[in-house]
Amino acid sequence: MKTNLKQKLLNKTALTMSGIALLYLVLCLMVYSGMASRQLLLVILPISCHIVLAVSLNLVVGFLGELSLGHAGFMSVGLFTGCLVSIATVDVLPMAVRIPLSMIIGGVAAAAVGLVVGLPALRLKGDYLAIVTLGCGEIIKNVINNLHIKKGPLAGVLDGALGLNTKTIYSNIKQLLPFLIVLVLLVVWVVLNIQKSRHGRAIMAIRDNRIAAEATGINVTYYKLMVFILAAFFAGMAGVLYGHGFSIIKSAEFGYNFSIELLIIVVFGGMGKVHGSVIAAILLYTLPEIVLREFSDYRMLAYSIVLIVIMLLSENRRFKEWKDSVSLKKLFKKMFKSKTAVAVTETDAKEGGADES
Amino acid sequence: MKAFRKLTTLALACLMVVMSVVGLVSCGNSNAWPVDEATGLTELYIGGIGPLTGDYANYGESVKQGAVLAAEEINAAGGVNGFKLIVNYEDSQGAADSAVSAYGKHMDDGMKVSLGGVLSGETASVVAAAKDDGILILTPSASSVAAIDGNDAAFRVCFSDPDQGYAAAQYVRDYNLGTKVAVFYASDNDYCVGLYESFASKKDDYGFEIVEVQTFDDSTKTDFSTQINAIAASGAEVVFVPIYAAEAAQFLTQAEGKLDIPVFGCDGFDGLLTKISDVSDANGVLMLTPFTADSPETNVQAFVTAYTAKYNTIPDQFAADGYDAIFAIKAALEKAELSSEDVENFNDRMVAAIKDITIVGTTGEMSWQDDGNVAKDAKLMEFVDGKVVAYVAK
Amino acid sequence: MITLIQALLNGLSLGSIYALIALGYTMVYGIAKMLNFAHGDVIMVGAYAVITSVVQAKMPGVLGVVVSIAICALLGVTIEFLAYRPLRKAASLTVLITAIGVSYLLQNVAQLIYGTEQKAFPELFDSIPTLTLGEVSIEGSLLLTLGLTAVIMAALTLFINYTRVGKAMRAVSEDKEAAELMGISVNRTITVTFAIGSVLAAVASVFYGASYTYIRPTTGAMPGIKAFTAAVFGGIGSIPGAMLGGILLGVIEQMSKTYISTKWSDAIVFGVLVLVLVIKPTGLLGKKISEKV
Repeated sequence: MKTNLKQKLLNKTALTMSGIALLYLVLCLMVYSGMASRQLLLVILPISCHIVLAVSLNLVVGFLGELSLGHAGFMSVGLFTGCLVSIATVDVLPMAVRIPLSMIIGGVAAAAVGLVVGLPALRLKGDYLAIVTLGCGEIIKNVINNLHIKKGPLAGVLDGALGLNTKTIYSNIKQLLPFLIVLVLLVVWVVLNIQKSRHGRAIMAIRDNRIAAEATGINVTYYKLMVFILAAFFAGMAGVLYGHGFSIIKSAEFGYNFSIELLIIVVFGGMGKVHGSVIAAILLYTLPEIVLREFSDYRMLAYSIVLIVIMLLSENRRFKEWKDSVSLKKLFKKMFKSKTAVAVTETDAKEGGADES
Repeated sequence: MKAFRKLTTLALACLMVVMSVVGLVSCGNSNAWPVDEATGLTELYIGGIGPLTGDYANYGESVKQGAVLAAEEINAAGGVNGFKLIVNYEDSQGAADSAVSAYGKHMDDGMKVSLGGVLSGETASVVAAAKDDGILILTPSASSVAAIDGNDAAFRVCFSDPDQGYAAAQYVRDYNLGTKVAVFYASDNDYCVGLYESFASKKDDYGFEIVEVQTFDDSTKTDFSTQINAIAASGAEVVFVPIYAAEAAQFLTQAEGKLDIPVFGCDGFDGLLTKISDVSDANGVLMLTPFTADSPETNVQAFVTAYTAKYNTIPDQFAADGYDAIFAIKAALEKAELSSEDVENFNDRMVAAIKDITIVGTTGEMSWQDDGNVAKDAKLMEFVDGKVVAYVAK
Repeated sequence: MITLIQALLNGLSLGSIYALIALGYTMVYGIAKMLNFAHGDVIMVGAYAVITSVVQAKMPGVLGVVVSIAICALLGVTIEFLAYRPLRKAASLTVLITAIGVSYLLQNVAQLIYGTEQKAFPELFDSIPTLTLGEVSIEGSLLLTLGLTAVIMAALTLFINYTRVGKAMRAVSEDKEAAELMGISVNRTITVTFAIGSVLAAVASVFYGASYTYIRPTTGAMPGIKAFTAAVFGGIGSIPGAMLGGILLGVIEQMSKTYISTKWSDAIVFGVLVLVLVIKPTGLLGKKISEKV
């Protein structure tokens, strides 16, 4: 019985979800008890948004196997739409209603744009698709850069390249944290479940061999569009929360550089690996912002070298062996072991043996 | 081999724990008032944020140097009411998100008074984050309306964009610069847009028309040829260029030989001569600024002498703003009768006091209104052979 | 009319720069099947090399350009050897991220050496007189850019089609294994390709610096992306495609800046790109690849 429960707990979804939940629990304790430093408070929002963005981009890049360089564009569509809704309703609705509502509207707006960008994806492949998504991202950026609201109750809130004035809906991290936790857990849960479902297998079949997948009756058009729409939807939701944490947002921030940053996280964490994206998002964001800040001038230099070295190492056979030996799954297993203080049973030995082989 | 693996796993886990503990748990004493051992004075942490690297580094450096000089002068005279002023600057590279995290670092380190940001955009991003803290923000140089908007504890030393834009419009008429005006500015910069809009709003009052408006933004700031051609073809008699010196240098170099009308800019032109590849390209360029290093006022001359001796360069308006900001803080401390023994309600008393003081600074006489703005005069200057001199109407 | 001619000339000049950079992208892609994201930053390095040799070391302009070309060629070959060669068999995304890493590295090294402030590019072509035809005046640097680009493109076409090395490059791009069996050294061919691409980037950097007068560590990023776009626009892997794509992109950009708005030029450029690719999924001159199971 005990072993059964353990095996259940050890499945990937539960492990990833509980790991993330634990992380946020610790964060909550620190944030609401006032123990957290300003620097920590400041990175929670961007890191959480990066997690959502990376996991959703992983849907496109890792699962569907299409290179997208316009993810930041979807995020900014959601951000600007959702935050405008939030600004318009700031006096009418309480925060607990207003933020989820604006997140959904922002997400839907981003999904609609995702559909439009996904359509050429049906005809294009590989680098051609990559450049089209990059182009779409830049077009979105350029269009938002030229939008002004000059009349009505929201006059002056959005002023072209000067950005969106989000001062009225600015919320500190104590207010935003619950929404962030829900969003991160939701996205991770949805993506993990897609992966395990019939749909997920169909999507990965398209990635591995489109023609064969089509021949077995998989509706390629449907699934490709679904992935683009879903990824854009989540990116848009993350954008809305992101916008609430700053007092001014300029669309210029969300150009191809931002998209590339997200792509790096996905590749770094492992294609199609959800927990990998989560860990990579945390590590790659904190690396230049906190750990390397001590090096000041050499901060971004060190970051670029780390990037190159890791990529070179990932192709190195010996490093691969080492990495497999310290996989997170095993780390969790070890922690689990020590916590429950269950004596090492034969099952564990078997499991360990099976993993190593 | 197995032992090695275990060890590395352990090491990795330890590293993560150490990383999170060292970097992220606050020291919990950010409200403490440290005492300087040498003098026995209580340290008052004044934190500033500005671009110390990057294209706008000259502004950040100037403000910082001015503020540090003022603090040194005050401390050398025994401090203020038992306080020793400590000025610390964090680099933002001019980016809004960097400014916010720099603000966070200041607060972690125990900042008591904030100098906000040097640029408008970065100050605007800090102002909302600072609202909950109630801390006094006195930005030396952030001039846009949005920079101190929505935070009752935020004030500025420089004049606001609207005031400067109105003054520029008035000078176009007063100095007969022309009746057909072209404008060239950065559409993604608060300072530039603010100046343009207030300038344009006064065109009817001062009897000129705007015949051409050209813009650029951060992603298109390499090639100004299209804009220069359009301005040259528009028949304008003067071009108003409310932008920063780095881009102004580029505009002037690329316009050389193509544009033969006067170029008229605002205080962003400070430092132009150090940026432009050929100083003769700047000849005849006009600049509006509230500060002139060759002013006969005694306080200005004292400041210029001290600044030149310390930094080996003549101060610009940004340095003067930084210098004045520290003296305004000193005056507010005295007015609020705060001392190292009595720091109750520090923030509230400082904010209340700043509205009551009047100081004569290097950039003129200043007093603050409830909305955080200051009233000042501006002067029209001209670049001549690598120097900045008062403009004489021709 | 004068505005049109002026805009067209400016567009051709910008397009020439894009085309020169795009050639580097497309040749590397054709042969090594990788997107060399760091290629744009080679322009930045080339421009700084000119600044250092001409402004700081007081070399004559021509020598400065030669130094810049040599440094870029060396840099391109070194990057290939250290960063890309170990990844020859890796997944394309791994190589792409490595290239992005190299791009960041170059920018940050430049920032450490030269600072983040813009540096003035020496006025190399000021001695070339401005040509005045009626009311249209054409700057000397513009004429030089157009003329030299045309010569370089013609030379490159001849080189690819008629020399031994050029034929080897085409063979490798056609079928790597078959080329190896025919006695062609794939590694050496790739090295040569990187060298040629970087030389073209160095030439582009000189034109770029002369036209736009100031250089920053991030200077290479935007023209790099635009040239990459141009290469895909023309059909990536195709050399005439890169030339055509670059020129067209430059002209479209300048035309939309002049006649529509400087604020909308990026959206228009990328809009045309998306439209063309949706209609013709492999670019203007790209080969249609039939998919086999």
